[in-house]
Amino acid sequence: MLEYTDKIREIAARLLKEGTVEMVIGFRKGTVPMMNEPCFVTDAGDVDRLIWDGNCGVNLANYLMDRKEKIGIVAKGCDARNIVTHIVENKIDRDQLFIIGVPCTGMIDRRKVAAAVDGEILEVSEDGHNVSVRGQGFEKVLNRQEVLQQNCSLCIHRNPVISDELVAEEVPEQQGVDRYADVRRIEAMDPEEKWNFFDDLLSECIRCYACRNACPLCYCPTCFVDESRPQWVGKSQDPIDVRTFHFLRAYHCAGRCTDCGACERACPVGINMRVFTKKLEKDCLEKFGWEAGLTTDARPPLDTFRPDDPDDFIK
Amino acid sequence: MKVILIEKAQWEAGVEKARDSYRLFGPVSQGPFHQFRPLAAGQLPDLDYSNTRMSAKELVYPQSEKMFDYTLDKSQPDHHLLKEPQKDYSPRAVLGIRPCDADAFGLVQRNFDTPDYKDPYWIRAREAITLVGYACSAPCSTCFCTSAGSGPFSESGLDVLLVADGDNFLARVITERGEKFMAAAGWDAAAGDDADARIEALRAEAESRIASHIETDNLRSQDTLSLHGAAFWEEVSFACINCGTCTYLCPTCWCFDIQDENRGKQGMRIRNWDSCMFPLFTLHGSGHNPRGKKVQRVRQRFMHKLKYYVDKYEDGIQCVGCGRCVQHCPVNIDIRRVCELMNSYGPSQDACAVAS
Amino acid sequence: MEHMGIEPGRIQFSWVSSAESTKFVQVVKEVTETVKALGPNTHFVKHEAKVA
Repeated sequence: MLEYTDKIREIAARLLKEGTVEMVIGFRKGTVPMMNEPCFVTDAGDVDRLIWDGNCGVNLANYLMDRKEKIGIVAKGCDARNIVTHIVENKIDRDQLFIIGVPCTGMIDRRKVAAAVDGEILEVSEDGHNVSVRGQGFEKVLNRQEVLQQNCSLCIHRNPVISDELVAEEVPEQQGVDRYADVRRIEAMDPEEKWNFFDDLLSECIRCYACRNACPLCYCPTCFVDESRPQWVGKSQDPIDVRTFHFLRAYHCAGRCTDCGACERACPVGINMRVFTKKLEKDCLEKFGWEAGLTTDARPPLDTFRPDDPDDFIK
Repeated sequence: MKVILIEKAQWEAGVEKARDSYRLFGPVSQGPFHQFRPLAAGQLPDLDYSNTRMSAKELVYPQSEKMFDYTLDKSQPDHHLLKEPQKDYSPRAVLGIRPCDADAFGLVQRNFDTPDYKDPYWIRAREAITLVGYACSAPCSTCFCTSAGSGPFSESGLDVLLVADGDNFLARVITERGEKFMAAAGWDAAAGDDADARIEALRAEAESRIASHIETDNLRSQDTLSLHGAAFWEEVSFACINCGTCTYLCPTCWCFDIQDENRGKQGMRIRNWDSCMFPLFTLHGSGHNPRGKKVQRVRQRFMHKLKYYVDKYEDGIQCVGCGRCVQHCPVNIDIRRVCELMNSYGPSQDACAVAS
Repeated sequence: MEHMGIEPGRIQFSWVSSAESTKFVQVVKEVTETVKALGPNTHFVKHEAKVA
């Protein structure tokens, strides 16, 4: 995946020179290990700033909101599906975009890497198979597959479903992936266990809204947590209010979430809030046969009525 | 200032003895990171950490805090009165706060303890707490405390500074509050005559290990309006997702929001941390929002930290270089880079508007 | 909601038309019985904010 950098720069330079787009949104190298910063380039002479590696986990579709320009955007599999959702939801026009598609082999989870070593990490490099970590008094090589973000290890849409130009050949999609093992584990618990599980999960939450803001689906001009007339959810650290924020946000993402992992990646206290959205994703798949963001031609299940919609829960 | 020697064997016993007179708090492992938590009986602070995820400000300034209760029920004798909540301001002590976090209390005090306005909640909590610091012998690569007005062995704001020396601690007693704490813990063995020199040697070594520095010498002299109008803000703010991570993890951020929560005829007024990054932060009752755009909010945060505070208090930047925002910003916006842009800014730089 | 720890049976759905008064009475009776058997709900209840 590291070869993609040159191709991205080449495509970006061409698009800007030819005036096909006014800006290209991509990543620049971060200032701390395993982080890259989303950036934009408007001049063909600046494209060398753009890079690509396994630390490009931020979902760039998040930056398309309310933009009026013609934009070139670097999009991996999950990002592209979010772009599809944005088009279906009328947040951006297809014509505004030149999608630079990235067949993705997964993003590195910096928390997994940190947990696998002892001491402060100073530098991380990778190739297709390995992640080499150098730190204060140690060097270690880790298996890349073992330190991927969980959503990446379960990904079945690594290739962008929509793009104007791919930076490389498509990669083979993962087969035989059990996406819902975690969800089933929770489903098997009794109500008290379930309640405590989520209590523990959310105990560190500081209501910073990094998860919400990193999510490309959360674009409401006024989020429900910020409404005051009426006020739906309290703004304090009361545990019920914290829990309400999370599950209600998950509901708003039902049938739309592409499991890009941006939420978990953004959380400063490491909460795995994907357990909320995975359950809804499983329900959508099992009850409506629906996967989010695969095509611009279909309407999502939550805004269409079909006579054969499941209704066995209604007595 | 005297230096006391706390041998390894005395540490645990002393902590337990101090428990008789103080509620103890310290860094506790939460798995992948540490947080400040109350120490249970027999629990020692876990000093095998670089810094806590959340800063120490929450010990004096809780994220959500009840300000008062009230009832409008006329059948109650105290109806329509603001009732002060019962809070525990009995003496407490934090064991193992880093010098940068302690320094930050001094900066934040400027906001909560002014000649004109005194915040009773913050002040009472601050006065009830004794800060026993733990010097950093191995600063992180993202720590830039020495160029932010603090340092790995900084004593500002601390009552006692513990310096690890082999298996023991050298404890420099800085204030009277610190003296009281040491007495309560029963730590009274004077360290040798070379203790000061030893501490200074360890300090020099720690400071030499700080790899990250920022330049702040021009911030005061920069023209505020020019800085405000600089072209680099668009580029700096692009990646920002306007979450509250930087503000909530920062030991020097102090903004809050006040809300009433009612249930029937009863209610309480609560103070919650707020973030200038949030869109609602400057929303007026009229509906106008002077910082409705992301670039305005991001610019304001850095101007506040690195320019307005500098101008107002003439005592350096509103940052202690702890590095939490650098490590945890979800999109890697780096205050060190922004400081460089601001410090070196000259109007001619707008010719190449996008800095690399 | 059940996924998060609300006991099964507390949340129920039913289509009842305003012309189906007998069904309405029956649904109300059944739901009331089922929920009463589960006992008072303790989850997701906020009396006042639990704050410092």
